[in-house]
Amino acid sequence: MTDGRDPDAGGADGIAGSARPAEAETGGLRGRVTRTLRVARWEVTRSVGTVDRKTILVVLAMVTVAGVVGLAAVDEGLALESELYVVGVDEDDPYHDVAVESTAFRPIPLSDVELEDGSEDGNVDVVIADDRIGHVGTNGEAAYDAFRGAVETYNERRMAAEADETAAYPVLVTLEYQDRDLGDPVGGDDLVDDEEDSTDLEPEADETATDDGADDDAVDEDDSGTDDREHGADGEVDDGDGQADGAGVDSTVDDTDDDELAVPDVGGGHAAEQTAPGTPGTLSPPFPFQSLVLAFLFVVPMNFVIQAYGSTIMDERIQRRGELLLVSPAGRLEIVAGKTLPYLLGLVGISVAIALAIGGGLLSIGAAIPIALAFLAATFTGAMFARSFKELTFVTVTISVVLTTYAFVPAIFTDVTPIALISPLTLIVLDLQGDSVRLAEYLFSTGPLYFGAAVCTLQGLGVYREEDMFTQKAIPSKAVDAIVSQIDAISRRVHAYASPFVLSALFIPFVFAAQLLVVAVFFAVPEAIALPVVFVLAAAIEEFAKSIHVYAGFARSRFDASLRVATVLGVLSGLGFFLGEKLTHAVQFVGLPELTVGVAAFGPALSSEPLVLAALFLAPLVLHVVTAVVGALGAARGRTSYAVAFVLATLIHAAYNLGVVSLVG
Amino acid sequence: MAIVEVEALRKEYGDFAAVEGSTFSIERGEVFGVVGPNGAGKTTTLKMLAGLIEPTDGSAVVAGFEPGEPAMQRRLGFLPEESPLYEDMTPRSYLAFFADLYGVPRDVAHDRIERTLDRLDLEHRDRRIGNMSKGMKRKVAITRALVNDPDVLIFDEPASGLDPLTTNYIIEFTRELSETGKTIVFSAHNLFHVESICDRVAVMNEGRIVASGTIEAIREAHGGTEYRVSATVDASEGLRASAPDANGPDVDALEVHRTNGQAEHVVGDMAAVEAIRAVVEAEGGRITDIQTRTPTLEEIFLEIASESSAEETEP
Amino acid sequence: MRRELRSLRSEKTIVLAIAIQLFIAAFSSFLVVGLVTMYDPSGVDGHEMEVALTGEDTAELLAAADRQDGLTAVSYEDRSQAHADFDTGQVAAVLDANRDGDDRLVVRTTVPDEGLATTVLVVQLRETLEAVEHQERLENEDRLAETPLPIPEAIDASPYVGFTYTILLPLLLFLPVFLSGSILVDSLVEERQRGTLELLRVAPLSFVDVVDAKLLATAALAPIQAIAWLALLAFNGTAIANPLALVAFVFALALLVVAVGAGTALAAPDRRQAQLLYSIGIVAALVVSVGLPEHPANTVAKFAIGNPTSTTWLLLALYCLLAAVAVSLLRRGVRRLEPESL
Repeated sequence: MTDGRDPDAGGADGIAGSARPAEAETGGLRGRVTRTLRVARWEVTRSVGTVDRKTILVVLAMVTVAGVVGLAAVDEGLALESELYVVGVDEDDPYHDVAVESTAFRPIPLSDVELEDGSEDGNVDVVIADDRIGHVGTNGEAAYDAFRGAVETYNERRMAAEADETAAYPVLVTLEYQDRDLGDPVGGDDLVDDEEDSTDLEPEADETATDDGADDDAVDEDDSGTDDREHGADGEVDDGDGQADGAGVDSTVDDTDDDELAVPDVGGGHAAEQTAPGTPGTLSPPFPFQSLVLAFLFVVPMNFVIQAYGSTIMDERIQRRGELLLVSPAGRLEIVAGKTLPYLLGLVGISVAIALAIGGGLLSIGAAIPIALAFLAATFTGAMFARSFKELTFVTVTISVVLTTYAFVPAIFTDVTPIALISPLTLIVLDLQGDSVRLAEYLFSTGPLYFGAAVCTLQGLGVYREEDMFTQKAIPSKAVDAIVSQIDAISRRVHAYASPFVLSALFIPFVFAAQLLVVAVFFAVPEAIALPVVFVLAAAIEEFAKSIHVYAGFARSRFDASLRVATVLGVLSGLGFFLGEKLTHAVQFVGLPELTVGVAAFGPALSSEPLVLAALFLAPLVLHVVTAVVGALGAARGRTSYAVAFVLATLIHAAYNLGVVSLVG
Repeated sequence: MAIVEVEALRKEYGDFAAVEGSTFSIERGEVFGVVGPNGAGKTTTLKMLAGLIEPTDGSAVVAGFEPGEPAMQRRLGFLPEESPLYEDMTPRSYLAFFADLYGVPRDVAHDRIERTLDRLDLEHRDRRIGNMSKGMKRKVAITRALVNDPDVLIFDEPASGLDPLTTNYIIEFTRELSETGKTIVFSAHNLFHVESICDRVAVMNEGRIVASGTIEAIREAHGGTEYRVSATVDASEGLRASAPDANGPDVDALEVHRTNGQAEHVVGDMAAVEAIRAVVEAEGGRITDIQTRTPTLEEIFLEIASESSAEETEP
Repeated sequence: MRRELRSLRSEKTIVLAIAIQLFIAAFSSFLVVGLVTMYDPSGVDGHEMEVALTGEDTAELLAAADRQDGLTAVSYEDRSQAHADFDTGQVAAVLDANRDGDDRLVVRTTVPDEGLATTVLVVQLRETLEAVEHQERLENEDRLAETPLPIPEAIDASPYVGFTYTILLPLLLFLPVFLSGSILVDSLVEERQRGTLELLRVAPLSFVDVVDAKLLATAALAPIQAIAWLALLAFNGTAIANPLALVAFVFALALLVVAVGAGTALAAPDRRQAQLLYSIGIVAALVVSVGLPEHPANTVAKFAIGNPTSTTWLLLALYCLLAAVAVSLLRRGVRRLEPESL
């Protein structure tokens, strides 16, 4: 059907006419890349070029004012605890000065103290009389504890002012970390550290050299700044300077800027190693807290960038604006890639800058990128589903919270348990601590996010077309449409029945992530409540992943709503899920044999009998197929019966889990 | 050689067929109108041609390529019914972006944009689009559809919601474009415009093309010319009695309007006129006037629409 | 007003908002439990760790270590034997204590490189050494200008109290306020973009009425959620001393923030810029409020823990006044606004 005409000859040289450029005909990969870059460039100029000059001025003014005030306030801290507790103490008492000096306390004279209910409650938290210190009321203990810390700080401050240094600081400490090979390593050490660890019995001499800078600091501060030092990273443990507990989080951020930047963390080992003598107060435990807070810096800008990104995607969907890009030679993949590219590059740039600033290496950047991808992909899909900006706000907030939790919470346990590795942030913490990470660990940590981002993007791309993107449907209905577009894509390439198999397997990273998140969130809840909840939620997540696409297919008439079809779809879905799950486990098992997750998921070996083993292996298959069929049968009959079937399948699944656990336990 | 070939094009949304098997072709340089009531499937058809909607079945070839292929999209200019622009951009920056997206070299694009905007008398080229009137925005949108110097233009209701003056202006401009050799596919409610600029039309109703061809041919086929025979007597009864045979004049469609002693007989062909004359003369009356009248496209369109809807509901 | 509430309810945004905040609350409380547990050695299971003491002057250290929870000190005559036991894991650390020329006690500490266990160990060692330091200082009393104050006995106090009142509670109360403003910005920008505000011109309502209704409906969300949070915290054993004052505080703040949000939405050209201005404005305000006699978070903490000062009450009155001023300024501005410019 080619008309055989040379396009450049351009028969109709119309009003706007002129020769058609040869460049326009670029096809293939080069054409795709060029068009993607054009969309990307446009996105940048549009976002940057069209921000009102007034807006920029106002923003600049606000940032300047906030910056000036903020900097001025840095010295004093946020003073969140200021005068939080009331202490009853007379002015001639030696402890009166402590209360005055510490911001967290407000002293009142003993004559003003009113006690009620037989000293159970009153207008003070701590009372000091006759050299005895007592506490009052529900928060008295906490106030007393804080006061104890304040006394320590007070003493430190006095000592720092003493002329006779040797008398004021009569104890000097050096701290040396030494590896030892105990055969039965404590905690997750084996996983966290490199293999060389186990053979290296010598004290790590190189650390002494690299840590010189820090040591000089510590020694200098013996004279003048012990307090300042304590105010920082270890202020929390001292609990002494009115910056106790949570407030320590803030002060640490400030502090790390000063301390960490000056100390390039090159060699292995902990920054806190102390080879030159210091006072006991300067000892800082090898806690990943500082690295954790620094690692968190990588996640912060992502939360802001996705706001703008969601907005620009949503913009295309308002009033059918996106139609014009869709009729252009750029395909939807090119449009989306082009619109995403500036934000992704921006985040990568920020990550590199952060890594440079806080002394992170390639690994930090390599771990930050999948997090950024997950943020952007989830926002893209969210923005494709949202009906209005109002909804988009909630979607982006949800994404922020979920992904931040997913990244941050496991990273807290970096040195505690290998499961911490599910978050790439853990890799950053390790990197900042100077530990190395094996490729398998990197893949384990980032794989689910890469994969999840890809699946999310696919879902969003599925509805990035005229038929779906401009319609005002509720988010669940949009999600169903998105799944159906995947079913259609699979049906076109393979067979309609292949979709439940493929989709069940594809959803596994999400199931994995969601379940770990559930475990993490309920970690702190008492076990009696947490265990049943976790069991039911874990089952519900799996059942949802196995049945939602079957439901979507039925709801949009992609499958015949017959008993036979539903059964077939259910069996295929259960099979796909089972295989995907086993594959994931196998990969983990091969890649990370020491990881307990693998063991936990396989279940402890109950018996070495081949028959029993086979039964154990196949039991989950039967379970997945049975529950998936239950779900599919319900899905075939509409929404209500799907809901009922889903609950039923979840209960069966939870009962099975409980049965297995009680069998093992 | 047809520049647009459409074969059994079909689009279903779930159980609902928005377009059911449209087939037509458009020659190079033609202005082709697609008319029909709201919900007839016009926009869906045009969007399938533009590559925006993937057909459920059937095929389309536009400018030598299937819709959706970059090569086809490059030869296409599309003006959607509502073409919201990016309000925070200026016409110049907005148009330059699209020219860039289509791979038009900057200098060529600049000339083309300025010339088209000159022709359309758009003054404020560096003002925020958001602050412009509807007519000005439409002019920017039309210019955008032309930045790639397309072979085929698809205009979905180009004049909808505009004042009559701007509408005429845009219709006039469309005519000019067709004179320069562009193929234009055009949909409209306002049949007056279709009649004035389209070479051929397709009439759609409830997802189907119910009539197509040149306006003359459609007029001929549906309703054609009408004859109004005024006489002193009412010939309808005599006519029915005298014409029992199926090959005789079509008397079923006969309409009679009585006004002060005169009867006006409305019939569709000359044979019926002859038959009326015979009956009138036999009954001793006389013919006072015979008029012929050509119906407007609007009337034909209403008739076709009601016919096809009636067919639809019959079985 | 009713229409606005209905539209909010129908979009289930409230449910979503509350769900999100529940999540944030779970997240932050989990965070604090996790963090504090790791900081607080007593939080980790209290099995005793043995440390080896060598060197010439171990008596004081030995006594202090035995007073320390979770530590047991064992004296070794032979330093190499101590290190041998360290290598086999029999002792968790080796402390080598000697006097230097200035009669200072120099302690060379060797600990294993073993993750969390080491963290706990170092924390305990530090406390032990600080106790020794305190003791030594008292012995040096004659050489010091000021005698260190006796340090009160340690007790088992909940480490979460400070966090709950100064961080968690303000976070839970401020977040709904921020979200309320954000919702209003979106709602106004969206109506403007979709052109529905123009429709309002033909409705029997004035534009001021519409803005009033939106303002009240969104601002009312914040105190409702605040009440829910306060009830939840009280249920979990965190005593809230001045609930009424806190709710009034949240409502005043919500009105203020929502009025600022509405003003931003009406002044800014599009959503991105409106949200940018709004968020930066709120963050800047939070930073700048450091300059106040009390930071708003500190005000919340004082009310909740039951130690408000007269400044705290004055500030509450100030926030109410500011809210009233902001709302009346907004209404005046809206009345002057040309409907065509929307």
